[in-house]
Amino acid sequence: MGRFLTLMKSGIMLDLYWLKNNRASFISMMLWPYLMLGLVLGMGFIFGSSEAFQRNIGLKVNPITYFVASTVVVMACLGIMWDVGGNVLFLKWIGALPYVIVAPHRISMTLILSYIPRYLFLTMFQLLEFIPLIFLVEGIKQGIFKLGVMVLALTLGMLPLLGFSALFAIVFMVTGEEESNLLSWLNPLILLFSGAFYPVALLPYWAQLIAWALPSTYTIELARLSALMGSPRFAQIIFLMGILLGMAMFYNLVAYSFIGVGERRALKKGAL
Amino acid sequence: MNTNIAIEAIGLVKRYMTYERIGLFRRRRRVVEALKGISFNVRKGEVFGLLGPNGAGKTTTVKILATLLLPDQGTARVMGYDVVEEANEVRKVIGVSLTVEKGFFWKLTGRENLKYFGMLYGLDGQALERRVNELLKMLGLDDLGASDKLYEEYSLGMKARLSLARALLTDPPVLILDEPTLGLDPPSARSLRELLVRLAHEQGKTVLVTTHNMFEAEIICDRVAIINEGLILAVDTVKGLKKKVAEDVSLEIGLILPAKISSSELLEKIRSATGCPCTLLHGEEMHKLKIVAPSEEVDEVTALALRLLHDYKCKVRRVDVKEPSLEDVFIKLTGRGGF
Repeated sequence: MGRFLTLMKSGIMLDLYWLKNNRASFISMMLWPYLMLGLVLGMGFIFGSSEAFQRNIGLKVNPITYFVASTVVVMACLGIMWDVGGNVLFLKWIGALPYVIVAPHRISMTLILSYIPRYLFLTMFQLLEFIPLIFLVEGIKQGIFKLGVMVLALTLGMLPLLGFSALFAIVFMVTGEEESNLLSWLNPLILLFSGAFYPVALLPYWAQLIAWALPSTYTIELARLSALMGSPRFAQIIFLMGILLGMAMFYNLVAYSFIGVGERRALKKGAL
Repeated sequence: MNTNIAIEAIGLVKRYMTYERIGLFRRRRRVVEALKGISFNVRKGEVFGLLGPNGAGKTTTVKILATLLLPDQGTARVMGYDVVEEANEVRKVIGVSLTVEKGFFWKLTGRENLKYFGMLYGLDGQALERRVNELLKMLGLDDLGASDKLYEEYSLGMKARLSLARALLTDPPVLILDEPTLGLDPPSARSLRELLVRLAHEQGKTVLVTTHNMFEAEIICDRVAIINEGLILAVDTVKGLKKKVAEDVSLEIGLILPAKISSSELLEKIRSATGCPCTLLHGEEMHKLKIVAPSEEVDEVTALALRLLHDYKCKVRRVDVKEPSLEDVFIKLTGRGGF
């Protein structure tokens, strides 16, 4: 437990220092979701009204709430995959990886645990940014409920994604090549299969099979549920929560077993 | 294991797999043997130098001892802990610095970087704060006004100091430093060397340092291992090593080479004509040919070398005969220079 807390604290410390010294970059990071949302909505309103949007998706839903949920959850998924999976490459690039390895913790634990505070802080901060907008379009009562579901989706959705992204970290540890960052082309594909751009139901059958194996699919689904629901449908929420918890166990167990092997192979190969 | 021994390496072997492209889609696998069974030990409280040219196997050895690389064969122990089986225990007793020019977060200050790594290494609260302040002062970063500067604004000298500060964070009994003064200006290198000697001789730390700088090894190391092509050629004190070539003298010939001459061919000719190991040190205005020759044959070797140089149309500017240095020991042991 002490080790767990130490790693979490070191992660918090690193992020606070980074935010303190990079205010401009912090501000642009905070503006980014609004810009993304503005672009999506702007494009949407050029081609049609909110009513047209509701007719197209066949549900009575406010496009602003729908896209806020999508934006926050997609950014969170991308953040986890880049920061946990790609962190090995980043640390290697700045030359700090050997010094993280010589800490008396498993490298994988360091990468994952020290990332959790950053994820929670940045994701929740991005969600907070949208509170006025959600309250404006949904009203306070509905807004609180929908934000609650989004918080749940983002928190629960993080758990399987941590294990899932740790699998990328293993690949990067073993291959040890900074130039072959497969995340740059794999991330958009994962998001596509997860239904970030099109509903999963519209994808071909083989792509749907991939979609159901990806944890991000359920995170996105749960977050969107908050927007789609006119009234609380707890059964659906609990069903998705169950799937996310199951996937969290599966992916984290797989990552835990493979990471030890990956670390050893990387140390043998001299890839670290 | 002898209780006076801090680091013990026995028969370390390490092979790397490299791939050579031989066509558009084809690659050939090549095995590079970086260490060919090296053995040595480092006593507690001494500064021990691993001296060798680039590619000799110094960094590979250091990485194995620092638990960053697994050996293919052989064993190594640090403060009695096996580097493979008890890697976590080893990590608790070592401080490591592998490169001085990077290894920190660029957007954090020196102090913040140290605090982050300190926490990662298990320090916390007041103890962490106190240790970081102590190190910033001890390494002179406070005096340079660098403690609260962003790392990206650091000079190489400041980076080297910060790197050593990180290695000292947990006050470990063993320091493993890979070329800690590489690229530093003479004053920075000098103060860092003085500090390493103080750490060993006043605080009792064991310092393993790799270098290809003979001068540095001669000044700071209590004992030196000469490593070349993955093999340890000799381990002794600098004095002891010099004794090995005491019957020899170092012949230094200052010369200017004609534009088209191949220096390796010239060296090979001199080597085979004189039967003595030699090397060519390149200078801006003048090159220096060093030949390690037995003292009773020095006149004959000088005459032979001068004749050959004349044949190759080299302009000889100076001839000196000197007592052997550590560099001469290296030339004698390896048969060549090449640093």
